[in-house]
Amino acid sequence: MRYQDLLRRSVRNLLSAKARTLLTAGAIAVGTFALTLTLGASNGARSYVNKIINSNFDPTELVVTKDTRAFGNGDNSTPPEYDGSFGSTLVPGGLETQIKRLSDDDLTKLKAIPGVQEVRIANSVSVQYITAPGQRKYVATVVPFSPAQKPDLLAGSVTQLNENAVLLPEGFLKVLGFDTAAAAVGKKVTIAVQKQVDQTGIVSALTQGGAPNAIADAQMRPSMHKDYTIAAVAKKPTAIISASEFIVYAQPKTAQALRDYKTTGSSDYHRYLAVNAKIRNGGDKATLTLVQKRIKALGYGAQSVEDTQKFLTQIVSVLQGIVTAFGFIAIVASLFGIINTMYISVLQRTREIGLMKALGMHKKDITKLFRIEAALIGLLGGLIGAVSAVLFGTALNPTIAQKLNLGDQRLLEFQLGQIVILIGVLVLVATLAGLFPARKASQLDPIQALRTE
Amino acid sequence: MITVKQLSKVYGKGEGLFTALQNIDFTIPTGSTVAIIGKSGSGKSTLMHIISGLDHPTAGQVLIDSTDLYAMRPREIDEFRATQMSFIFQAFFVEANQTAFQNVALPLEISGVALRERKKLVAEALDAVGLLDKSMVLAGNLSGGQKQRLAVARAIVNKPTILFADEPTGNLDSATGESIMALLFELNRTLGCTLVLVTHDNDLARRCQQQITIKDGQVSSIKSTSDRRAK
Repeated sequence: MRYQDLLRRSVRNLLSAKARTLLTAGAIAVGTFALTLTLGASNGARSYVNKIINSNFDPTELVVTKDTRAFGNGDNSTPPEYDGSFGSTLVPGGLETQIKRLSDDDLTKLKAIPGVQEVRIANSVSVQYITAPGQRKYVATVVPFSPAQKPDLLAGSVTQLNENAVLLPEGFLKVLGFDTAAAAVGKKVTIAVQKQVDQTGIVSALTQGGAPNAIADAQMRPSMHKDYTIAAVAKKPTAIISASEFIVYAQPKTAQALRDYKTTGSSDYHRYLAVNAKIRNGGDKATLTLVQKRIKALGYGAQSVEDTQKFLTQIVSVLQGIVTAFGFIAIVASLFGIINTMYISVLQRTREIGLMKALGMHKKDITKLFRIEAALIGLLGGLIGAVSAVLFGTALNPTIAQKLNLGDQRLLEFQLGQIVILIGVLVLVATLAGLFPARKASQLDPIQALRTE
Repeated sequence: MITVKQLSKVYGKGEGLFTALQNIDFTIPTGSTVAIIGKSGSGKSTLMHIISGLDHPTAGQVLIDSTDLYAMRPREIDEFRATQMSFIFQAFFVEANQTAFQNVALPLEISGVALRERKKLVAEALDAVGLLDKSMVLAGNLSGGQKQRLAVARAIVNKPTILFADEPTGNLDSATGESIMALLFELNRTLGCTLVLVTHDNDLARRCQQQITIKDGQVSSIKSTSDRRAK
């Protein structure tokens, strides 16, 4: 029998039991729907991670820490022994913990490592407040601007970001009294930073007799106020860290000056959780890995952008795996649906099959007829599931992006190639499921079948 | 010519052993009409199934011209049946939800005839049974007699050399039955195909050139009608 005749017959059979065909395909569609969305979500998550990394990190840099536990893979079997390099930090969940920090000596050591071109301090400084003339005060964090960053600017230019300038996120515009981003550029903001400890005040109070009041007065820590020009306004960041504080970017020197003022006299002075080491020829992976090993050999923690990327995508992969597993379970369940439906179809068409066999149709052709039918149900289910997932995802993307603060990023990114492969696999699996009923049909005894009235 | 030699068919084993056919011998000349007569349970249907390659004999041979049917592989038997034989059943077995054209085209689809050729042959067959104008009508909407005519068209569309008719008038009233029989005898003359009629109706059987009576699985008599073809 010719393929087109078999195909036409299969289509006709499926159409003659429309409800049954649709319901069986519907079960497959559910699994396909889940899998298509999963694929879309993991594409989206991966490209989101890549986007963040590419716009915030320099791939030729390594993040170096004193504490190897910082990357979550250090030795946690024994408590770390205390030394002066420890300082407190907050971990997510509000727990304050002790962590080793880098000192200027460490920076010197790092710079001396062959292959390390430059060591950059990327630590943020939480300032006392930011304000503009006649406006209220708002909390802010100043972060050193790295040349690798490519922020989405609403107005202004990064080239204007000198030592007396800042890059302001759009969230500050309205509260600081600027109508538009363009209006803000060139205007001044004031940043205040407060000393953690006023050592000089305490010392002078002590030398003047150590009157308790004088010491208490000295503990009223002084603040430094300084004006900065707004060089540019950045779009709400595609934030990987949920922005509990608004981030203001400044030149590293500017940030350093703020930090030094704040920490002079305290144990935090010139102590860094992490620094960025730029590697000479760091674009070459082998070189990067080699220098990374050298840094680690000195007892530091070192992580490349790729490591960070891997770590982040690993979370995505785990979630993807879970949903994929559920999708596959749904598909396996729906395969039993196909088998069941096809068995019923064989029963209903016993007489027709008998007649076809009596008229000389080969067993093989009968098998093919039912396998094509199963494949078509798989194709239909796959198409319904994939198309509805794409429609659903496309319609929901803007809402999801808004809710999750993703900016322009779409959570669900569909790739035609993946979907085609998915449907192809479904058709194949459905065909395999159709094998059992097809075999039953081909083995029907025509004489018995024709006796069925 | 169909030659049946020492044909036996036994079902079951041991205690449950049942002999359906025993040492059947006869020949049917090419282009003739023959009736296989017997009461229900006599084994006449089993005999027809074996001659047509649907069933397997326990012993003996079926020769069609010089071809030994059961010396062939199953696939070859299928091929042989698709091109050389046709069937008409008491219950018509037309597909109600398919058009007359689609019903008649089935044997041609099975033997892989090209679409253009198929259209021509189906039209010829429908014309021969007087259903050309019903080509696009669903078979379910036809009357009983028309359904059997449709089955006849389906049986002759592949120009078979042997036409098996198993109680073709059993589900029809006598006038309609008569017209179907007239049609079958006419096709036997015009197409020259051998007509094997399985029936329990002696009047019908007498109109065939040869009557083979089966009783308890054995040939009880073989008669030839002297007055050649009836009406």
